[in-house]
Amino acid sequence: MSAPFYKLGAFGDEASLIVAFLIGIGFGFFLERGGFGSAKKLVSQFYLNDLSVFKMMFTAIVTAMLGVTYLSWAGFLDLNLVYLVPTYWVAQVAGGLVLGVGFVVGGYCPGTSIVATATGKLDGLVFVLGFAAGTLGFALAFPLVKGLYTAGDVGTKTLPQVLGIPYGILVFGVVLMAVGGFMGATWVERKMAARAAAE
Amino acid sequence: MLSLSKLSLNQKLGVVALALGALAVFANVAPGHTVKVNAKELLTGVARAEDHVTPQELAAWIIEGRADYRLVDIRDEEAFAEYHIPTAENVPLAAVTDGALGRTDKLVLYGDGGIHAAQAWMVLRGRGYTRVYTLLEGLDAWKDEVLFPVMPESPTAEQQARFERAVQVAKFFGGQPRAAAAPGAEPMALPVTAAAPAVAPPTLPAGAGSGPKKKREGC
Repeated sequence: MSAPFYKLGAFGDEASLIVAFLIGIGFGFFLERGGFGSAKKLVSQFYLNDLSVFKMMFTAIVTAMLGVTYLSWAGFLDLNLVYLVPTYWVAQVAGGLVLGVGFVVGGYCPGTSIVATATGKLDGLVFVLGFAAGTLGFALAFPLVKGLYTAGDVGTKTLPQVLGIPYGILVFGVVLMAVGGFMGATWVERKMAARAAAE
Repeated sequence: MLSLSKLSLNQKLGVVALALGALAVFANVAPGHTVKVNAKELLTGVARAEDHVTPQELAAWIIEGRADYRLVDIRDEEAFAEYHIPTAENVPLAAVTDGALGRTDKLVLYGDGGIHAAQAWMVLRGRGYTRVYTLLEGLDAWKDEVLFPVMPESPTAEQQARFERAVQVAKFFGGQPRAAAAPGAEPMALPVTAAAPAVAPPTLPAGAGSGPKKKREGC
């Protein structure tokens, strides 16, 4: 048995939709259990008093990265076949800024707003309506922003390629970053709690 | 001495992640350059002629505007710039395994003759590319059979009809028919690649050729 399952023909188009649905349900469930269904929890990242979302995201990244690394090393997964999103760095910087502003203002990102809506939060529903309108607006305005959409195209790039370092070193580097991030985040949380207590 | 029981669960998991990350430095996950072939499977496919498409088949695909395959010119950039079969993309021989080609893509490879494409075909099959084909006898055959079809001498009615169809196809690709080649005759001038086909497609309307493929992936 080897992965990626879809690309190696383990299941067809229809079955892939079911698989995607089940993975989506699992993703939503763990987002909700991680507290991502609450705008208060999410925006705490920006006030630095509760960085658990940051920690959870980085944990997910490190877990997935180590899993992919070792599955590939053991021969269960062909990394060459894993889909990579092409890098359009100008478009992605612009899009990241827009998403960041929306996140701070609205308290959700698209995925977490759906999670919030599913648990009956009205602000989540409003956010979903907002991003649906935004998506529609983007589609209608697409001829105007077409140039930006593909600006900064550098193709599919991986960090080992760009930095010219071996894959394993990069993996270790990201783990070090994550552990450093966790320790730093915990330190910041304590500082903020102490300041809140002092006031 | 740091006791394990004094660590929180999060700290233990952090230590595990660090250990796995450190070990990953020694795990060889970079794609190698070796190939592994099942000789029997490969040779059976060749014997069944499942390894190639003919120039006529390819011409029909291009005219139909089929987009379910990628036509790959494995010659160098200069040769590609000078002339290439319409809709082809250029991936020089030495770069075919560098990632430009997807392993599940249907690929039709061609070089000048048949040999380089066949060598690339062998390597790609060995690297797990499952749907690779070569253009039979390469660009040479494309020129002889599609661009500059030879008028048969004293043809039968069937041969004549087939030749007339071939002339239509040749014109579509910017070529022209010729009389049986005399030894040492001047080679026919190749059509300019950039020029749009001057004549209407002989059978089906030509689409955009192998346009951008539908992406099923991504967020």
